[in-house]
Amino acid sequence: MIPVAVPLLTAGERLDARRLIESQGLAFEDGCDDFVGMYDNGRLVATAGRAGYVLKMFAVDEAFQGGEALGALATALTSLGRAAGHDAFLVFTRPEHAASFEHCQFRLLVASGPVALLECGGGLERYLDAHRHLRREGTNGAAVINGNPFTLGHQYLVETAAAQVDTLYVFIVREDRSVFPFAARYRLAEEATRHVPNVVLLDTSRYAVSAGTFPSYFLRRNDEKAELQMQVDVRLFAAHLAPAFGIARRFVGHEPYCETTAAYNLVMKELLPLYGIDLVEIRRATAGEAFISATKVREALAVGDFATIERLVPETTLAYLRTFGVGC
Amino acid sequence: MDITRRASAGTMQSSDLMVHVEPAERLDIQIESTVKKQFEHLIRDRIEAVLRQLAVTRALVKISDRGALDYAIEARVETALRRAAEA
Repeated sequence: MIPVAVPLLTAGERLDARRLIESQGLAFEDGCDDFVGMYDNGRLVATAGRAGYVLKMFAVDEAFQGGEALGALATALTSLGRAAGHDAFLVFTRPEHAASFEHCQFRLLVASGPVALLECGGGLERYLDAHRHLRREGTNGAAVINGNPFTLGHQYLVETAAAQVDTLYVFIVREDRSVFPFAARYRLAEEATRHVPNVVLLDTSRYAVSAGTFPSYFLRRNDEKAELQMQVDVRLFAAHLAPAFGIARRFVGHEPYCETTAAYNLVMKELLPLYGIDLVEIRRATAGEAFISATKVREALAVGDFATIERLVPETTLAYLRTFGVGC
Repeated sequence: MDITRRASAGTMQSSDLMVHVEPAERLDIQIESTVKKQFEHLIRDRIEAVLRQLAVTRALVKISDRGALDYAIEARVETALRRAAEA
């Protein structure tokens, strides 16, 4: 009998899935696009879910562990995922399960404390291969920017950082969980940094782990979800992206406002040196007395305060923002 | 046979393989296998034989193999190619 996992479509089937997941000591997370499962004599014995390109909540009944259930679940989920347009998939799980996934041809990307991140589909290799022609000799730096929208602060960071390295790689966050869509954020970044000759612009693809992507279903109550998500993201950058481009320095703006970002800078300060990468914190640019931030721009945009916006963003961003009505 | 769209065949089970085919400008075969070191050249031979047999000269063929035997490789590769050539 070839074990096959099938899509779980009815409310009853999904409830079975939820019960099985919780019976394994995992937390059920909403927001999955697909669920698949295996039934044995009318009983659900294995299940897993897919949210975008992230596979999660793999739960297999004890009696069926160590067999082919994982392969069946992964086959079915990736098949559904490919039909939805994805060509590589990430799995976040506990480190003790990493080996099982590796047997199914998942590649371990990062292990950090109670989290292991694996990928199926060779996406990272393809991404690095596609950008290989951007590799340049010298002492190189990187900045990872969301740019929601791209402000004078971002521009200042890029200009300042670029002056300190041979090539500055500016990674624009690909994930679309921002007010402004990726295509716009990337274009604004490109226009505002065109005058800096040693800047290379690229996107992060799947390889920036945000709070949105990072699932916590397998974490225990005491584990710090946000902290772990940041660690995984930083390690992914340091272990895989940085070496591919010869990056020795990562530049960030110092963070006076946002606790989460400040915490993130702290995680980078701890972990980057372990990979031989320096963290360079650049003091934020100011407009008058206040530091420039994208949040301020979005707040001003919501009330149509273009007087404020003008002082915070480059011309190209300003032109783009003017196309929006008030209150968006 | 012309490859006009993406298609897949196979499973991620032990002794089986997954084959992903997509259109491309040239012929490119990428193999990942649990027995890559010992058998990559044999796997590649099988795939090339099927490609020749079906007269496919341009395609990206990606294999994720978990120790499949030759007849399984041939079957999965042919299935994926035919699915990818469907009008």
